[in-house]
Amino acid sequence: MEVMATLWQGNLFLSSRMSWIDDLKRGLIEEDRWKLYIEGIGVTLSIAAVACLMGIFIGVIVAVGKYYGSRSNSSFFWKVVAMICDVYTTVIRGTPIVLQLLIIYSLTVWTRGTYACMIGFGINSGAYISEIFRSGINSIDIGQMEAGRSLGLSEGTTMLKIILPQAIKNVLPALFNEFIALVKETSVAGYIAVRDVTKVASSIKGTYFISSPLYVAAVMYLVLVLFLTFLQKRLERRLARSDRS
Amino acid sequence: MIEVKNLRKSFGKNEVLAGITERIEKGEKVVIIGPSGSGKSTFLRCLNRLEEPTSGEIWFEGQNIVGRKVDIDKVRQHMGMVFQHFNLFPHLTIKENITLAPVHLKLMSREDADRKAMQLLERIGLTDKADTYPAMLSGGQKQRIAIVRALAMNPDVMLFDEPTSALDPEMVGEVLDLIRELANEGMTMVIVTHEMGFAKEVATRVMFIDEGVIKEQNRPKEFFENPRDARLQSFLSKVL
Repeated sequence: MEVMATLWQGNLFLSSRMSWIDDLKRGLIEEDRWKLYIEGIGVTLSIAAVACLMGIFIGVIVAVGKYYGSRSNSSFFWKVVAMICDVYTTVIRGTPIVLQLLIIYSLTVWTRGTYACMIGFGINSGAYISEIFRSGINSIDIGQMEAGRSLGLSEGTTMLKIILPQAIKNVLPALFNEFIALVKETSVAGYIAVRDVTKVASSIKGTYFISSPLYVAAVMYLVLVLFLTFLQKRLERRLARSDRS
Repeated sequence: MIEVKNLRKSFGKNEVLAGITERIEKGEKVVIIGPSGSGKSTFLRCLNRLEEPTSGEIWFEGQNIVGRKVDIDKVRQHMGMVFQHFNLFPHLTIKENITLAPVHLKLMSREDADRKAMQLLERIGLTDKADTYPAMLSGGQKQRIAIVRALAMNPDVMLFDEPTSALDPEMVGEVLDLIRELANEGMTMVIVTHEMGFAKEVATRVMFIDEGVIKEQNRPKEFFENPRDARLQSFLSKVL
């Protein structure tokens, strides 16, 4: 049966252009199958969006923690914080994301795999984003911190109002690189039975023995990434207004 | 106003300040000179604890400001500081640079701070730059903005850390003019500089720091005309 089907599928591919369109029709339009993709991309997007926000949140905290811990006169508390942050980035960057998802999924009874994915990808991207922010903070001249402090602003305020805005501007390209990678990485969510767009496409393909769903999914990712690139360009242009014109 | 007692500062094994005891009275303009690496900048930076003293006491307006319990942010609101490299905030407009601290620290309302910023800009003739960014200014303009940014906090004392050392020669004058103006208005100042002519003219007292101690200090006239310390004599012979 399976051999027959494979032969038949190959036949479709080799025949006319008509059958390619037919293929697409079956994969996308028949029985309102496009709705499945929409659901799938919805899952992909929500995982990516939540993970992204979580990643930024974790990233800033870890980067600032490491910054405070790395100063020569930092207190014992900040040294411990920095050490914990170091362990976090080492473990997360040193193990595969699929394994991390499987572990997180196995930890608790999640009502939905999607939640496990959001948390998993959030924790994962947090490690990478923290390194991006750390390099951004380090790229800011020490004189900026001194100037802020000499005006009587606290260390936290100076960090928030003076260092971080400049650091984020400097690392925007690297940050968007990470976002783009994150969107595409969510395609492994199917490993823990989450029906993201990749999983949807591959199961439609598996059911009807047609490859068009894979292309449909690919185009959807491409559109997402193009949108992110567009966003990046706009943001960069807005933040560039303080540069010499 | 500022009283320093046996101030020491080491970076690792390197002792940069080897015990300085000194008083600076209200209204004084103290100019500190000395060879590079002598500890003069470190001394200045210890006064508002940008450098943490290794030991010793610093009394400012009746309070010892060295120690963990001191709210140093509060103390710094009364001590303006001007840096060699200006350190304007490049992501903020000139006006925002000036108003950030007073508004954020709730010392002034946004409107009052804006008004004060415009007054200060008018004083240095840069009102047209209020809404531009630091990158569009010359070095001299940047340093004058940095000075009025510190002034916006109404400080009781101004600390200048080589304010003209990073400037092109033709811009040194405009910055010194502004500092001179402040001096004439009675502002208490501590200035680290290499501008000997300026020191002679503005200072009420000149201090020579070398090897982490004050080797000699005097009124500017005697200081430059009759230096007694051998190191100071050789230093002056090289720079004058």
